[in-house]
Amino acid sequence: MSVLSKLKETLVCLKAGRVTLPYPAQAQPVPEKFRGRPLFDAAKCTGCGGCANNCPAREILLFDLCQEIRILQYLGRRCAYCGRCADVCPEKAITMSHEFETGTNSIGDIQQRVELFMSTCQRCGRCFKEPSALEQLKLKGYRVDDVAHERWVFRSKSYLDTEPVVDDIKIEMD
Amino acid sequence: MLKNLCQKMFGRSLWVYHANSGGCNGCDIEVLNVLTPYYDVERFGIKLVGSPRHADVMLCQGPAMRATAQALKRAYDAMPAPKLVFAIGSCACGGGIWFDSYPVLGPVEKVVPVNFYIPGCPPRPEAIIYGVAVAVGLVDKKTAPVKFKQIELPIPRYHPNDLIGRDELVVYEKVEKV
Amino acid sequence: MKTLLSILGGLANVAIVLLVAPFFQGVLRKITALIQSRQGPPIWQPYFDLLKLLGKEDIESGESPLMQRFAVYLSLATVLTVACLVPMGFTAPMNAAGDVILLIYLLTLCGICTLLAGLAAGSTYSLLGASREMMTMIALEPLFAVAIVVGAVHTQSFRLDTVLNGSVYASAAFPWSGVIMFGVMLLSFQAFVQRVPFDISEAETEIMEGPLMEYSGPKLALFKYAQMAKLVIYSALFVTLFVPWGTGLMFPLGWLVFWAKVTGLVLLVTLVAATHARYRIDQAIRYFAALLAVALVALVLASYGY
Repeated sequence: MSVLSKLKETLVCLKAGRVTLPYPAQAQPVPEKFRGRPLFDAAKCTGCGGCANNCPAREILLFDLCQEIRILQYLGRRCAYCGRCADVCPEKAITMSHEFETGTNSIGDIQQRVELFMSTCQRCGRCFKEPSALEQLKLKGYRVDDVAHERWVFRSKSYLDTEPVVDDIKIEMD
Repeated sequence: MLKNLCQKMFGRSLWVYHANSGGCNGCDIEVLNVLTPYYDVERFGIKLVGSPRHADVMLCQGPAMRATAQALKRAYDAMPAPKLVFAIGSCACGGGIWFDSYPVLGPVEKVVPVNFYIPGCPPRPEAIIYGVAVAVGLVDKKTAPVKFKQIELPIPRYHPNDLIGRDELVVYEKVEKV
Repeated sequence: MKTLLSILGGLANVAIVLLVAPFFQGVLRKITALIQSRQGPPIWQPYFDLLKLLGKEDIESGESPLMQRFAVYLSLATVLTVACLVPMGFTAPMNAAGDVILLIYLLTLCGICTLLAGLAAGSTYSLLGASREMMTMIALEPLFAVAIVVGAVHTQSFRLDTVLNGSVYASAAFPWSGVIMFGVMLLSFQAFVQRVPFDISEAETEIMEGPLMEYSGPKLALFKYAQMAKLVIYSALFVTLFVPWGTGLMFPLGWLVFWAKVTGLVLLVTLVAATHARYRIDQAIRYFAALLAVALVALVLASYGY
């Protein structure tokens, strides 16, 4: 606590100079294994749905328009950049890029939407929709997540409705 | 005239209030990193203040929880206009991985209106500085929604009528690129 | 005619303080940043801060908004009144209007304004800050009063222009009391200008900015302005009392020497502020009590002519 120790401290700090990174002027290189935004390569995607099943934040939605067109929508709101989708993808269609500069004023800017044509069975080649949503769910592999309300639809006990599947807890905020 | 000057000065000196409504503190540490000498953000005039009445910008992190939703709303109401709210981290932008857990109400925008989103888990300090620069107007934003529609279908379609038998081989008669 | 000239001179003093105070605060912040090895804000940053605060909405909250308004206006008004009385490189133009006792009481009034602000807000943190400010003031204001009274005892008068001109060194024999008071004031200067290690009462993150907590917008701008102006005024007073050499020169040179000395003092304040931690209130009170004892010894020596 003497005066000399404080002066020595000042000299040490001054000798370090200015350590501020000139960030907006010059970008710093990111580490090699850095996980930034996931990029979906639609040319390689086969629409298997592995990424959607494995996402811990349930951010990837799958919707089958008909037997042959599958829509895959990545909403980036809750993505924790864990990289599970990239690990699981059998075609390596998802890469965790090095982009992190994703500040935006509308959260819908981060979404990526891929519409794929799924090949049909050689024998039956079905191209018509089952009459009701329940029948659609019963078809193996059919996925009808609620893209309009941006919600997953759990397969076993839920049905497509305007009611949310998980109740929002009401709390008085005055 | 004075009013114009004051409004122009708004972007040059933003005073920030840090409100963590239940997050894991990862984004807390990144926000504090932004204030340290390495990524010094005070060179843009941004200062951390201790009271929402002094602040222009509220940095929210963590999802809106049952316990802290009311406190967050009161802190937002206590800020004088003009004010901005930044949601930092995936938890504040959309609820994070905990979106369906029992104490979580959802993203912060269920409680206070959000102006800017900085997603990440946790976002790098450079990402936070970039988000603030986008908000102030120094740089353009780098994200836009991406849509891909498969128009050229790569797989030929087989129809059973076109399979003909030819010397014990089943051959596809016409290749139709759909 | 003479009164008109002195009033204009007083207004000129006030204008100088208003223009220059944020500049010194900016220098302080920049040098603090340099000591902390980072690139700090630009030197003009406090001007931007004040302009931005003037453009914000004014929310009146707290126990009594009337007292809040009164505290703010009184604070800036007191500081600017002291600015009229302080010499800034040339003798103060309005020094016939008051004497040293008025100066001491006006300086104490500056501290009381913070108390009023804290009590008007009424929240827990504000009251805590107000009580700490009270304790600090009780221990601190006597130090400055003793310094001025030592000068008054040496020159046998209470007039501002005689006392504020290096009078502490004006004794017959070697001025022991002057040297002791110089040391005491240097050691306690940080508390007068509300900087670390002694800014216990306000503007700290421990108690959420203390008495200033409930102010927003233009009133906060006035309070911050008053704090910045206090730095300049106390530095000017210190320089005229204790470091008077060189002010008797011709007009441009004496003025420049004065402002160079004030800048040197601000740099010293910055250095100490950037390298120290904040004291607790009981540690600070003990420190000031020890300094007060030494100051009283100096006063006794002064009355004996040393």
